[in-house]
Amino acid sequence: MDLPENIRRKESTGKLHLQTPGHGSYLAYIRAIVGDLARKIGFDEHEVAKIEMAVDEACSNVVKHAYSLDKKWCWQHRDPEIRLDIRREGDRLVIEINDHGQRFDFANYRPTDIEDRLRQMKRGGYGLFIMRNFMDEVQYNSNDQTGNTLRMVKCLKKP
Amino acid sequence: MKEFRIDREPRGSVQLIRLTGSLDMYSFPRLEAQLNALFQQGQYYVVLDCRELDYVGSAGLGALIGFAKQAREHSGDVRLLNVPERIHKIIELLGFTKVLKVHSTEEDAVASFEAK
Repeated sequence: MDLPENIRRKESTGKLHLQTPGHGSYLAYIRAIVGDLARKIGFDEHEVAKIEMAVDEACSNVVKHAYSLDKKWCWQHRDPEIRLDIRREGDRLVIEINDHGQRFDFANYRPTDIEDRLRQMKRGGYGLFIMRNFMDEVQYNSNDQTGNTLRMVKCLKKP
Repeated sequence: MKEFRIDREPRGSVQLIRLTGSLDMYSFPRLEAQLNALFQQGQYYVVLDCRELDYVGSAGLGALIGFAKQAREHSGDVRLLNVPERIHKIIELLGFTKVLKVHSTEEDAVASFEAK
Protein backbone atom coordinates (compact mmCIF):
# COMPACT_ATOMS: atom_id res chain seq x y z
CA MET A 1 0.00 0.00 0.00
CA ASP A 2 1.35 3.45 -0.93
CA LEU A 3 1.24 5.74 2.09
CA PRO A 4 1.12 9.54 2.09
CA GLU A 5 4.49 11.10 2.94
CA ASN A 6 3.27 12.41 6.28
CA ILE A 7 2.53 8.95 7.63
CA ARG A 8 5.62 7.59 9.34
CA ARG A 9 5.86 3.85 9.73
CA LYS A 10 8.55 1.76 11.40
CA GLU A 11 8.18 -1.97 11.50
CA SER A 12 10.26 -4.73 13.03
CA THR A 13 9.37 -8.32 13.90
CA GLY A 14 5.88 -8.25 15.41
CA LYS A 15 6.15 -4.52 16.20
CA LEU A 16 4.84 -1.50 14.38
CA HIS A 17 5.12 2.20 15.12
CA LEU A 18 2.85 4.47 13.15
CA GLN A 19 2.62 8.23 13.29
CA THR A 20 -0.05 10.12 11.37
CA PRO A 21 -1.52 13.62 11.40
CA GLY A 22 -4.54 13.78 13.72
CA HIS A 23 -7.00 14.24 10.90
CA GLY A 24 -9.92 12.09 9.76
CA SER A 25 -8.50 11.65 6.26
CA TYR A 26 -5.82 9.29 7.66
CA LEU A 27 -8.23 6.90 9.43
CA ALA A 28 -8.60 4.61 6.42
CA TYR A 29 -4.80 4.13 6.27
CA ILE A 30 -4.64 3.38 9.98
CA ARG A 31 -7.41 0.76 9.67
CA ALA A 32 -5.74 -0.88 6.67
CA ILE A 33 -2.29 -1.04 8.31
CA VAL A 34 -3.61 -2.35 11.65
CA GLY A 35 -5.83 -4.88 9.86
CA ASP A 36 -2.90 -6.22 7.81
CA LEU A 37 -0.81 -6.68 10.95
CA ALA A 38 -3.64 -8.42 12.84
CA ARG A 39 -4.10 -10.77 9.87
CA LYS A 40 -0.37 -11.57 9.79
CA ILE A 41 -0.44 -12.35 13.50
CA GLY A 42 -3.19 -14.92 12.90
CA PHE A 43 -6.55 -13.32 13.72
CA ASP A 44 -9.43 -14.51 11.53
CA GLU A 45 -11.26 -12.04 9.31
CA HIS A 46 -14.13 -11.42 11.75
CA GLU A 47 -11.68 -10.61 14.57
CA VAL A 48 -9.64 -8.42 12.18
CA ALA A 49 -12.83 -6.48 11.40
CA LYS A 50 -13.45 -5.97 15.13
CA ILE A 51 -9.87 -4.82 15.75
CA GLU A 52 -10.05 -2.38 12.83
CA MET A 53 -13.30 -0.95 14.16
CA ALA A 54 -12.03 -0.59 17.74
CA VAL A 55 -8.90 1.21 16.50
CA ASP A 56 -10.98 3.39 14.18
CA GLU A 57 -13.28 4.39 17.04
CA ALA A 58 -10.29 5.25 19.25
CA CYS A 59 -8.56 7.30 16.55
CA SER A 60 -11.84 8.98 15.56
CA ASN A 61 -12.22 10.09 19.18
CA VAL A 62 -8.74 11.60 19.08
CA VAL A 63 -9.59 13.56 15.93
CA LYS A 64 -13.07 14.54 17.07
CA HIS A 65 -12.51 15.19 20.76
CA ALA A 66 -8.82 15.33 21.77
CA TYR A 67 -7.89 17.55 18.81
CA SER A 68 -11.25 19.28 18.56
CA LEU A 69 -10.74 22.84 17.39
CA ASP A 70 -13.25 24.19 19.89
CA LYS A 71 -11.32 22.89 22.91
CA LYS A 72 -8.22 24.26 24.52
CA TRP A 73 -5.46 21.72 24.19
CA CYS A 74 -3.52 20.76 27.26
CA TRP A 75 -0.28 20.44 25.31
CA GLN A 76 -0.36 23.08 22.65
CA HIS A 77 3.36 22.90 21.94
CA ARG A 78 2.94 19.49 20.34
CA ASP A 79 1.91 18.75 16.79
CA PRO A 80 -1.55 17.25 16.52
CA GLU A 81 -0.51 13.72 15.73
CA ILE A 82 -1.73 10.23 16.44
CA ARG A 83 0.96 7.76 17.41
CA LEU A 84 0.23 4.06 17.39
CA ASP A 85 2.45 1.36 18.84
CA ILE A 86 1.27 -2.09 17.93
CA ARG A 87 3.04 -5.25 19.04
CA ARG A 88 2.55 -8.91 19.69
CA GLU A 89 3.13 -10.09 23.23
CA GLY A 90 2.77 -13.87 23.18
CA ASP A 91 -0.83 -14.56 22.17
CA ARG A 92 -1.88 -10.94 22.69
CA LEU A 93 -2.02 -8.05 20.27
CA VAL A 94 -1.28 -4.83 22.16
CA ILE A 95 -2.28 -1.52 20.58
CA GLU A 96 -1.35 1.81 22.19
CA ILE A 97 -2.81 4.97 20.72
CA ASN A 98 -1.23 8.18 21.90
CA ASP A 99 -2.22 11.81 21.42
CA HIS A 100 -1.32 15.16 22.95
CA GLY A 101 -4.73 16.76 22.85
CA GLN A 102 -7.53 17.34 25.30
CA ARG A 103 -7.66 14.58 27.90
CA PHE A 104 -10.74 12.43 28.32
CA ASP A 105 -12.28 11.67 31.70
CA PHE A 106 -12.23 7.94 31.01
CA ALA A 107 -12.60 6.83 34.65
CA ASN A 108 -15.85 8.72 35.16
CA TYR A 109 -17.36 8.20 31.74
CA ARG A 110 -20.43 5.98 31.96
CA PRO A 111 -21.78 5.19 28.51
CA THR A 112 -25.50 4.57 28.40
CA ASP A 113 -26.70 1.11 27.54
CA ILE A 114 -26.37 0.40 23.81
CA GLU A 115 -29.75 -1.37 23.71
CA ASP A 116 -31.38 1.83 25.00
CA ARG A 117 -29.49 3.99 22.54
CA LEU A 118 -30.51 1.74 19.65
CA ARG A 119 -34.13 1.57 20.80
CA GLN A 120 -34.22 5.36 20.88
CA MET A 121 -32.32 5.47 17.56
CA LYS A 122 -29.66 7.78 18.97
CA ARG A 123 -27.01 9.01 16.56
CA GLY A 124 -23.96 8.80 18.79
CA GLY A 125 -22.37 7.37 21.89
CA TYR A 126 -21.39 3.94 20.51
CA GLY A 127 -17.60 4.30 20.25
CA LEU A 128 -16.47 3.30 23.71
CA PHE A 129 -18.99 0.47 23.84
CA ILE A 130 -17.51 -0.88 20.61
CA MET A 131 -13.94 -0.65 21.93
CA ARG A 132 -14.82 -2.38 25.19
CA ASN A 133 -16.80 -5.12 23.47
CA PHE A 134 -14.48 -5.82 20.57
CA MET A 135 -11.23 -5.81 22.55
CA ASP A 136 -10.29 -7.85 25.64
CA GLU A 137 -8.77 -4.96 27.58
CA VAL A 138 -9.17 -1.19 27.24
CA GLN A 139 -7.26 1.22 29.50
CA TYR A 140 -6.65 4.94 29.33
CA ASN A 141 -3.82 6.88 30.87
CA SER A 142 -3.12 10.58 30.73
CA ASN A 143 -0.26 12.69 32.04
CA ASP A 144 1.50 15.91 31.15
CA GLN A 145 4.73 14.22 30.03
CA THR A 146 3.44 11.45 27.79
CA GLY A 147 0.02 12.79 26.78
CA ASN A 148 -3.02 10.54 26.50
CA THR A 149 -2.60 6.85 25.80
CA LEU A 150 -5.37 4.38 25.13
CA ARG A 151 -4.15 0.81 25.46
CA MET A 152 -6.21 -1.97 23.94
CA VAL A 153 -5.42 -5.67 24.01
CA LYS A 154 -6.85 -8.46 21.89
CA CYS A 155 -6.09 -12.07 22.69
CA LEU A 156 -5.56 -14.60 19.91
CA LYS A 157 -7.10 -17.22 22.15
CA LYS A 158 -9.93 -16.19 24.45
CA PRO A 159 -8.72 -15.72 28.03
CA MET B 1 -8.33 1.63 -0.81
CA LYS B 2 -11.45 2.76 -2.60
CA GLU B 3 -12.29 6.45 -2.74
CA PHE B 4 -15.58 7.22 -0.94
CA ARG B 5 -18.28 7.83 -3.50
CA ILE B 6 -22.03 8.42 -3.46
CA ASP B 7 -24.03 7.70 -6.63
CA ARG B 8 -27.76 8.38 -6.67
CA GLU B 9 -30.10 6.49 -9.00
CA PRO B 10 -33.79 7.26 -8.40
CA ARG B 11 -36.18 4.32 -8.86
CA GLY B 12 -39.57 5.98 -9.08
CA SER B 13 -40.33 7.43 -5.66
CA VAL B 14 -37.42 5.50 -4.10
CA GLN B 15 -33.96 7.06 -3.93
CA LEU B 16 -31.35 4.37 -4.52
CA ILE B 17 -27.93 5.50 -3.33
CA ARG B 18 -24.87 3.43 -4.11
CA LEU B 19 -22.04 3.83 -1.62
CA THR B 20 -18.41 3.01 -2.42
CA GLY B 21 -15.42 2.97 -0.06
CA SER B 22 -15.46 3.64 3.68
CA LEU B 23 -18.22 5.29 5.67
CA ASP B 24 -16.28 6.67 8.63
CA MET B 25 -16.23 9.90 10.66
CA TYR B 26 -14.35 11.59 7.81
CA SER B 27 -16.66 10.60 4.96
CA PHE B 28 -20.07 10.41 6.62
CA PRO B 29 -20.73 14.21 6.52
CA ARG B 30 -20.91 13.84 2.71
CA LEU B 31 -23.67 11.25 3.02
CA GLU B 32 -25.30 13.36 5.70
CA ALA B 33 -25.41 16.33 3.31
CA GLN B 34 -26.90 14.15 0.56
CA LEU B 35 -29.62 12.73 2.84
CA ASN B 36 -30.41 16.15 4.30
CA ALA B 37 -30.86 17.48 0.77
CA LEU B 38 -33.23 14.60 -0.11
CA PHE B 39 -35.26 15.07 3.06
CA GLN B 40 -35.59 18.78 2.34
CA GLN B 41 -37.15 17.82 -0.97
CA GLY B 42 -39.59 15.50 0.84
CA GLN B 43 -37.82 12.34 -0.39
CA TYR B 44 -38.02 9.96 2.54
CA TYR B 45 -37.83 6.57 0.73
CA VAL B 46 -34.13 5.79 0.68
CA VAL B 47 -32.23 2.59 -0.11
CA LEU B 48 -28.47 2.54 0.45
CA ASP B 49 -26.70 -0.03 -1.70
CA CYS B 50 -23.64 -1.09 0.33
CA ARG B 51 -22.19 -3.67 -2.11
CA GLU B 52 -19.03 -1.59 -2.69
CA LEU B 53 -18.72 -0.42 0.89
CA ASP B 54 -15.67 -1.76 2.69
CA TYR B 55 -16.11 -0.21 6.13
CA VAL B 56 -18.75 1.41 8.32
CA GLY B 57 -17.81 3.02 11.64
CA SER B 58 -20.07 4.02 14.49
CA ALA B 59 -20.27 7.61 13.19
CA GLY B 60 -21.73 6.27 9.95
CA LEU B 61 -24.02 3.76 11.65
CA GLY B 62 -25.24 6.35 14.14
CA ALA B 63 -25.99 8.79 11.33
CA LEU B 64 -27.90 6.09 9.44
CA ILE B 65 -30.19 5.25 12.34
CA GLY B 66 -30.69 8.97 12.96
CA PHE B 67 -31.79 9.43 9.35
CA ALA B 68 -33.94 6.29 9.46
CA LYS B 69 -35.70 7.69 12.53
CA GLN B 70 -36.24 11.03 10.80
CA ALA B 71 -37.57 9.32 7.64
CA ARG B 72 -39.94 7.11 9.65
CA GLU B 73 -41.44 10.21 11.21
CA HIS B 74 -42.50 11.06 7.64
CA SER B 75 -43.68 7.51 6.84
CA GLY B 76 -40.45 6.75 4.99
CA ASP B 77 -37.27 4.89 5.90
CA VAL B 78 -33.57 4.46 5.18
CA ARG B 79 -32.94 0.81 4.29
CA LEU B 80 -29.78 -1.09 3.50
CA LEU B 81 -29.11 -3.28 0.51
CA ASN B 82 -26.32 -5.76 -0.35
CA VAL B 83 -24.44 -5.34 2.92
CA PRO B 84 -21.11 -7.24 2.58
CA GLU B 85 -20.86 -10.21 4.96
CA ARG B 86 -17.90 -8.71 6.83
CA ILE B 87 -19.89 -5.55 7.65
CA HIS B 88 -23.16 -7.41 8.22
CA LYS B 89 -21.60 -9.61 10.92
CA ILE B 90 -20.35 -6.54 12.76
CA ILE B 91 -23.57 -4.52 12.60
CA GLU B 92 -25.58 -7.59 13.58
CA LEU B 93 -23.33 -8.20 16.56
CA LEU B 94 -23.77 -4.59 17.68
CA GLY B 95 -27.54 -4.78 17.30
CA PHE B 96 -27.93 -2.24 14.47
CA THR B 97 -29.80 -4.78 12.32
CA LYS B 98 -32.60 -4.75 14.93
CA VAL B 99 -33.19 -1.13 13.99
CA LEU B 100 -32.15 -0.88 10.34
CA LYS B 101 -33.92 -2.95 7.71
CA VAL B 102 -31.57 -4.90 5.46
CA HIS B 103 -32.46 -6.29 2.02
CA SER B 104 -30.52 -8.63 -0.22
CA THR B 105 -31.98 -7.66 -3.62
CA GLU B 106 -32.67 -4.29 -5.18
CA GLU B 107 -36.13 -5.47 -6.24
CA ASP B 108 -37.08 -6.35 -2.66
CA ALA B 109 -35.70 -3.12 -1.27
CA VAL B 110 -37.52 -0.92 -3.79
CA ALA B 111 -40.72 -3.00 -3.61
CA SER B 112 -40.73 -2.73 0.20
CA PHE B 113 -41.56 0.96 -0.24
CA GLU B 114 -43.97 0.48 -3.12
CA ALA B 115 -46.00 -1.86 -0.95
CA LYS B 116 -46.61 0.92 1.54
